[in-house]
Amino acid sequence: MITEPLVKNYLTEHYGDDSFRTLKGYEAKNGFDGLRKAVSMEPEEVVEMVKSSGLRGRGGAGFNAGLKWSFMPKGNERTKVLVVNGDESEPGSFKDRLIMERGPFQVIEGVLIGAWATGASKSFIYIRGEYAYAISVMEKAVEQARAGGFLGKNILGKKGFDHDIVVHSGAGAYICGEETGLLESLGGKKGQPRIKPPFPAQHGAFGLPTTVNNIETFSHTSFILSRGLEWFQGFGTEKSPGTTMFGVSGHVERPGLFELEMGTPLKDVIAQAGGVRGGRALKAVIPGGISMPVLPASQIDVRMAEEFLSERGSHLGTGGVMVMDDTTCMVRVAVVASYFFRDESCGQCTQCREGTGWINKICDRIEHGRGMPQDLELLSDVPKLLEGQTICAFADAAAWPVQGLMRHFRSEFEQHIEQKKCPFPDSFEI
Amino acid sequence: MPKITIDEKDYEVADGLMILQAIDDLGLLMSGVDIPHYCWHPKLPIDGSCRMCQIEIEGVPKLQIACNTPVKDGMVISTQSERVQTARQGVLELLLLNHPLDCPICDQAGECKLQDYSFDFGMPAGRTKEPRRVAKKAVDLGPTITFDQERCILCRRCVRFCREVPGTGELGVFNRGERSLMELFPGTQLDNDYSMNVADLCPVGALTTKDFRFKIRSWFLDDVETVCDRCSTGCNVYASRSNNKIYRFVPRLNDDVNDTWMCDHGRLSYKMGRENRLESALVGGKPASFIEGLRKASDLVRAASESGGTIVASASPFSSNEDLFTLRKLLETLGAPPATFSVPAGKADGILTQAEKAPNAEGARALGFQESDELAGAKLGIVFGHVLPATALTQVEKWILIDTHASDLSGKAAVVLPSRVVTEKDGSFTNHAKRVQRFRRVVEPSWEAWSEGALLQQIADFAGLDGWSEPWDAFAVSKRLCDEVPAFSGCGLTELGFCGCELSK
Repeated sequence: MITEPLVKNYLTEHYGDDSFRTLKGYEAKNGFDGLRKAVSMEPEEVVEMVKSSGLRGRGGAGFNAGLKWSFMPKGNERTKVLVVNGDESEPGSFKDRLIMERGPFQVIEGVLIGAWATGASKSFIYIRGEYAYAISVMEKAVEQARAGGFLGKNILGKKGFDHDIVVHSGAGAYICGEETGLLESLGGKKGQPRIKPPFPAQHGAFGLPTTVNNIETFSHTSFILSRGLEWFQGFGTEKSPGTTMFGVSGHVERPGLFELEMGTPLKDVIAQAGGVRGGRALKAVIPGGISMPVLPASQIDVRMAEEFLSERGSHLGTGGVMVMDDTTCMVRVAVVASYFFRDESCGQCTQCREGTGWINKICDRIEHGRGMPQDLELLSDVPKLLEGQTICAFADAAAWPVQGLMRHFRSEFEQHIEQKKCPFPDSFEI
Repeated sequence: MPKITIDEKDYEVADGLMILQAIDDLGLLMSGVDIPHYCWHPKLPIDGSCRMCQIEIEGVPKLQIACNTPVKDGMVISTQSERVQTARQGVLELLLLNHPLDCPICDQAGECKLQDYSFDFGMPAGRTKEPRRVAKKAVDLGPTITFDQERCILCRRCVRFCREVPGTGELGVFNRGERSLMELFPGTQLDNDYSMNVADLCPVGALTTKDFRFKIRSWFLDDVETVCDRCSTGCNVYASRSNNKIYRFVPRLNDDVNDTWMCDHGRLSYKMGRENRLESALVGGKPASFIEGLRKASDLVRAASESGGTIVASASPFSSNEDLFTLRKLLETLGAPPATFSVPAGKADGILTQAEKAPNAEGARALGFQESDELAGAKLGIVFGHVLPATALTQVEKWILIDTHASDLSGKAAVVLPSRVVTEKDGSFTNHAKRVQRFRRVVEPSWEAWSEGALLQQIADFAGLDGWSEPWDAFAVSKRLCDEVPAFSGCGLTELGFCGCELSK
């Protein structure tokens, strides 16, 4: 079992320490300092502080977290809700799991800061169903926090600061990691993203004003409050401050989690993971989970922050770095990625429902030597039909990997079609 | 009122609406402003999933769906730009990946949105090489509907309808992604009183009614606007006819009456005109020619009126305003008391159907007829059929029955004259909310039968009554009705239009 990242920084400093998962141990490590600081301020000031810190959501989209909080309606006429997105299901991403398992009180503290700032009186931590251990750790932590007076009425002696947390288990659908799909699922409905408007800040969980943030996003907020803006912005880049947890997987010597500053060069991230396995040549890297476009080896001199990656036609996503060496068949990557999206599409929107299956079938045919020359045209056209035309961003996520692979590795698709077989016998099995 | 520009034309639309609804409210959707759509329906919650109604809005980077984008003042919209057309083509191409190309044997062909939009906006040829989805065929969803799962394009109109309108929610979409299938929830049947509406809602041939399935190709049908007469709601319908035969009723939009729904009972009532009809006159219970019947009836009227004997009449709430007005006039001519009428009662369902199971009880009331289940003692009775039991007529010596269908009354009447059902005549009904609605003649009976009013006029004419020689005409009578009965002013047949008018107070 992983108990701590291979490289640590402020967020994961105490993750090897089992007592950090108890209320006492957490408080002993200056726990809840951030919350104490927050309640000494006006809620609007807290929102303003998080906003100006530049903290970007760590769930994939990279939206300014404080700005998101500011969308919540003011006043107390309606019960307001925070939802913590712990449905981490992006292939290649496994950071939130460790935060929940090793730093559950960081999550709780972050939620309470958010609750103070937005006036939310209830929050739901929605955790991927497969993360049974993370669920039990979070549940225990919530119990302890309640017993210790950090949940309930008049928290920290602040009159009217009431909050409670519910830990909720998902049932195993990728799409429930999408903000509104999660809210539907939380409400007991089929996990399908909602059309917007209305937005969650007006009509979210159970129809109440809601803000959804990622596990890691909440965990950073306590440090911003307790240690100050200047300290926080000392990490990372100007547009993407702080650290993040890179989950490095694939053909590296030492796969695992690495808490590194935003903007760390991708080469350094791979080097921290021990470099490509067996000293082989690097072929490609997916920088932010399977849904982000691939970068070929020639383009990996890039810093790991959204502003730099988007210049290369990719995105930081969840920071799940997938490394592929020269044995890898890129058509197989396309088959595996497109199979995942074919399987996980919720099936509401026409393009996504029908298109993800079509893309997968074409890729599969090419990989197995049954590709036709016109398939190349289809593989460049069909993802375009999906991109940006559906209720949620899932269809984009399904289109991008194939588009990225076609952009950088079109010759491999052509080889498969010409040779009527896969030219990479040593590639991973599918 | 926000002003918006669509394809370089300016429109003023109501505030607070989504674009598609605003366009539809102006009556321009697909007839002036081409925004194709599948999942959107004006009377159902917005789903936003078919993605067919995408449009380009100036200053908005992505294409937006017209069904869920609120109207904003100054919006500049393009429904024909190249991006929009490519997106539409894409949706159609993707829908056709798994939709069987069985139009030649599909009941929906000719009124299929997938067919229509493919012709209008689709690609000249498909590019898929994959085998199509194999799913269930001819699934029995319940007593009224057959389902072809392969043809379903998963717009979920039927799912939302069952959830929202009858509130029964039998249908759902199961599984996800390309394995999504519309199905019944386990252990249920699509067996609610409004089940057949899902066939109207289905944009393709996935849901068809067992009643209409395989009866006729839709292009042989023409539609006549009429009104259902099974209860006092008076749901607006189209009667689809071909060769003097009605094949179906489908509900017609009227926001003040039935939105676009109707109950299954009413929908199947088009068959009423076919079964167990009275096809000839009866004299003393024996078939007679129409002229014989007419002579006999007029002899009875003349005799009763000359001998100074009382004449009473029982009207029917199934008769039109015009027929009832003619009866009122005749009774006035004869110096007889006003007619009574009786209304068959049932249950209201809180959705559309009313407890009064007849279309024109309000019309009878507005004409001053009294409700009664019995007929006072008299020498002669004039009875409109359908409603009164034979026991109600014990005090009447002889009676003339005017009826559409054979019943246990037919054998006991001195004379029976065959009349026309609602789909065989022109006229108007006044529904429970005092809305006067026009119905139109859809077909002609193949035997001699006339509306109640026309029969009364002929009886009166044969009996030699003054002022009854002019042949009966629903439009002329309607005009006199409007002139003479203040409540009906402005409610003439030619003034009622598509959706009817309310009675004047």
